[in-house]
Amino acid sequence: MSNVDLLGRRNFIKGMGAAAGVAMAAPAMAVSEKADGVTWDKEVEVLIIGSGFAGLAAAIEATRKGAKDVHIFEKMSYFGGNSAINGGLFAAPGTPMQKKEGVKDSVDRMVADQLAAGRGIADEALLRHVAEHAVEALEMTFDAGSEYHPYLQQLGGHSVARTYQTTVSCGAGITQPLLKMCRKLGVNTHNRSKFEGFLVGEKGEVVGVKMRQNYHFGEDQPGEVLKIKAKRGVIMATGGFAQNVDLRMAQDPTLTSEVGCTNAPGATGEGMYEMFRLGAIPVHLAHIQSGPWASPDEGGFGYVSNYSIYNFPHSMAINRLTGKRFMDEIADRKTRADAELACRDEQGNALPPILITSYKDSKKHPNTKKVIKYNVGWKFDSVEELAKHFDVPLKPLKAQIEEYNSYVKSGEDKQFGKNMTKAAGKYIEAPFTVVRLWPKVHYCQGGVQINTKAEVKDSFTGQSIAGLYAAGEVCGGIHGVSRLGSCSIPECMVMGMTAARSMMKA
Amino acid sequence: MKTLNIVLALVLTGLVSLSAQAVEIRDHHKDVIGKDCKACHDNGIKQFPSDQACLQCHDVDELAKQTARSEEDKWQNPHNNLHYGKELPCQECHGEHESKQPMCSNCHTFKFDKHKE
Repeated sequence: MSNVDLLGRRNFIKGMGAAAGVAMAAPAMAVSEKADGVTWDKEVEVLIIGSGFAGLAAAIEATRKGAKDVHIFEKMSYFGGNSAINGGLFAAPGTPMQKKEGVKDSVDRMVADQLAAGRGIADEALLRHVAEHAVEALEMTFDAGSEYHPYLQQLGGHSVARTYQTTVSCGAGITQPLLKMCRKLGVNTHNRSKFEGFLVGEKGEVVGVKMRQNYHFGEDQPGEVLKIKAKRGVIMATGGFAQNVDLRMAQDPTLTSEVGCTNAPGATGEGMYEMFRLGAIPVHLAHIQSGPWASPDEGGFGYVSNYSIYNFPHSMAINRLTGKRFMDEIADRKTRADAELACRDEQGNALPPILITSYKDSKKHPNTKKVIKYNVGWKFDSVEELAKHFDVPLKPLKAQIEEYNSYVKSGEDKQFGKNMTKAAGKYIEAPFTVVRLWPKVHYCQGGVQINTKAEVKDSFTGQSIAGLYAAGEVCGGIHGVSRLGSCSIPECMVMGMTAARSMMKA
Repeated sequence: MKTLNIVLALVLTGLVSLSAQAVEIRDHHKDVIGKDCKACHDNGIKQFPSDQACLQCHDVDELAKQTARSEEDKWQNPHNNLHYGKELPCQECHGEHESKQPMCSNCHTFKFDKHKE
């Protein structure tokens, strides 16, 4: 997908002098340079790179805090980054809908759930900061005109229902309104603009960037490189690197190009690596998350992902070889992805497991219609029909359904300890809808280290790099080993807002 | 016009995968554009056309009307879609001299029967 080859250049943290030399020799290579003596082509007040949740929220917040000249630069031809093609799931504690549904929740509880999935290496201070401000970010989306399903969902690893989802079941239900709001507020948005490195001042502070114009992703197009001065600083909201196969394989060699990916093609990580070159601290790069709700029957996130996310709490995941369940269907993502990858036939070949749901329950989500219509999910009137279609041994499957239904009744899953709250009364019975599951690379927990002010720490001095802020998936270490679903949107938006606040105060 | 063709030929010889056939253009463009490369290549012959080039003649609202789908699938309209509204540059899905898949097929199995690859 990507022709970006950063791996060929292992000495990425070099002295500035050396880096500048490289820039002369190979102009296509992104590197930082000293700003001393540079002729600026343009000067802006607030410079934001990336137009996903983090970048858009940063732009709106900067404007609200009084910035008059805010610019968002996006390398792709379209705005929204990976945020425009994900599930649009937003977790927050103490929301209006929780009040309405009588769900008891708190910042502490949300942080505790995330710390458990983080398996001891998450950043509690950052998780707490995000949870404390999540409702503010949700309100920003309300202000912009985002609309949500009138019910909460309980996603894997969450101990209560705290997740909103846009009515279009997609992050675009947030990015499109935020983008419109940005423009209404006078934010300047530039597409086809490729970040090519920082320009740094005498004390190592970021004073501007090099920005290639008229950039065509994946093409060799010689657009002009402008030197743009950023008066207040630069906010890096450049996202993860799940689409950069070389980079992700450097961290985890099993994530070859054959492993599917839910991300937008632009998620290639150059912004992050440029910050490492500058001195930022790499954290948890090897923790790359696969989504256990994805389908091998369509590309990317598709229609199935949201179908399964909604239905997991009241569904049974079945190993087709045994006809038995093999996991807690709402465990955290890593637990489930690992369990799915272990589903193999006798020869060891991948045998994607199936998710069985009663149609009476699945049909409540709009995606159910889509998965059936577009042949990425199927409806069956009997267990026999279902078992035959997927070549599942009938007897054990029937026994498993009976056993699972006894857990629905008792509220206690004796097989895998699944939280059965959301399964109450939802027995598995015909007619069924079924999708196949196989994990796809979805999210990079790793990135640059930041603090609760969205400042980027320098690995040599231990101090924050002046003029530089980072927000969203480009940052690392916040979630630890496994990020819980619907916790990225609040993180992106809160940290984008935080970056803007810090910058406007600095 | 001759010089333009020569320039174009020189550009194309540099691109291994393209043959002379690659300068084929759609029938409905032959009458209105003919061999005037600059009609579309407004940033110079070596560069891709700008994202405004197609909009000299095509109107996105009109296109959105033409490709509208039923209410339940309304967001599959490529010219007014869920993820990018009416803003997706034409070149993401259409190439005059090369075949392209609709961008939607990266993730979705729904089809666009009239899309010319």
